[in-house]
Amino acid sequence: MNYPRDTLECGHSLAELSAYLDTGQIADPAHLDSCPECQAGLASLRKLSALGSELLSSDVADAGSGSDDWMQSILDNLRLELRPGRSIPLQSVHPDDTLWETEGSISALIRSVVDAHPGTAAGKCRLHGDVTTPGTLITVEVEIAVVYGHSMEERADQLREELARTLATHTELAIEAINITVTDVLEEQP
Amino acid sequence: MTEPLEAAEPSASTPPTGVAEELLDVVQSVPGVSAVYPAQPLWQSIAGAALSAVTGEPLPLIGLTDTAGTLAVKARIGVSTPRPAPAVAREVADAIRRHLLPRAAAVEVSVVKVGS
Repeated sequence: MNYPRDTLECGHSLAELSAYLDTGQIADPAHLDSCPECQAGLASLRKLSALGSELLSSDVADAGSGSDDWMQSILDNLRLELRPGRSIPLQSVHPDDTLWETEGSISALIRSVVDAHPGTAAGKCRLHGDVTTPGTLITVEVEIAVVYGHSMEERADQLREELARTLATHTELAIEAINITVTDVLEEQP
Repeated sequence: MTEPLEAAEPSASTPPTGVAEELLDVVQSVPGVSAVYPAQPLWQSIAGAALSAVTGEPLPLIGLTDTAGTLAVKARIGVSTPRPAPAVAREVADAIRRHLLPRAAAVEVSVVKVGS
């Protein structure tokens, strides 16, 4: 695959993480235990690999080279969203306590919910709006690639409900809307 | 819960030895905490990372800074579903604060990973 050349903020790249999945080799394996961004990246790359194996069409060959648009788009967004991002405040009980969630942790959570659906891969996962000010209405934008054969409308509705439930549980964000866009439909070989 | 720590002198700048290890146990014992990550992300502490690589000593998981008698504690955690991440963060902060009593503390907890 063609991986974006930029490295994550910890210094590792998606290409290094992919090589680790393929070979089990990386310069500092202990780092993987201490870096949530690398862990999220590995989880997403595993899902992409699994999705690729589900496809037997020409899309797969293209995906393998990373030359097709959908795979490249997912990788580009993954690189951006693996960063910690903004700090999202959480309510605290004691006035001297400061509690946060990182934007990256929420993007990874959204991605994991989408990726848990068979034949579905998360593309762009973004939080739009001022997430740093409690109570401010925000919108969630999610782009997905799906394998042909399922009702896209039904799948989008299911995802929207599941994301709403998950984000209500794990964040204190005031979510105005969750917008899901199917950007790619991947055909299986008959 | 272990014995409360004695309050440090206001001028002290180095937290008592072992406090970070005690607090790590406290944090890890909170239900829903799946991981504790280095308090200072690698990319914010290149010098520390280099030193860690040379000495083999891991980066500290609980950050401690003593300022005029108030202990600033910093923890970065992963939270496993289904426990709500905000509630887990509050419980971590509360557990740290109770462990340090009667010492004054300012606790910062960052959730950097949610889910498996």
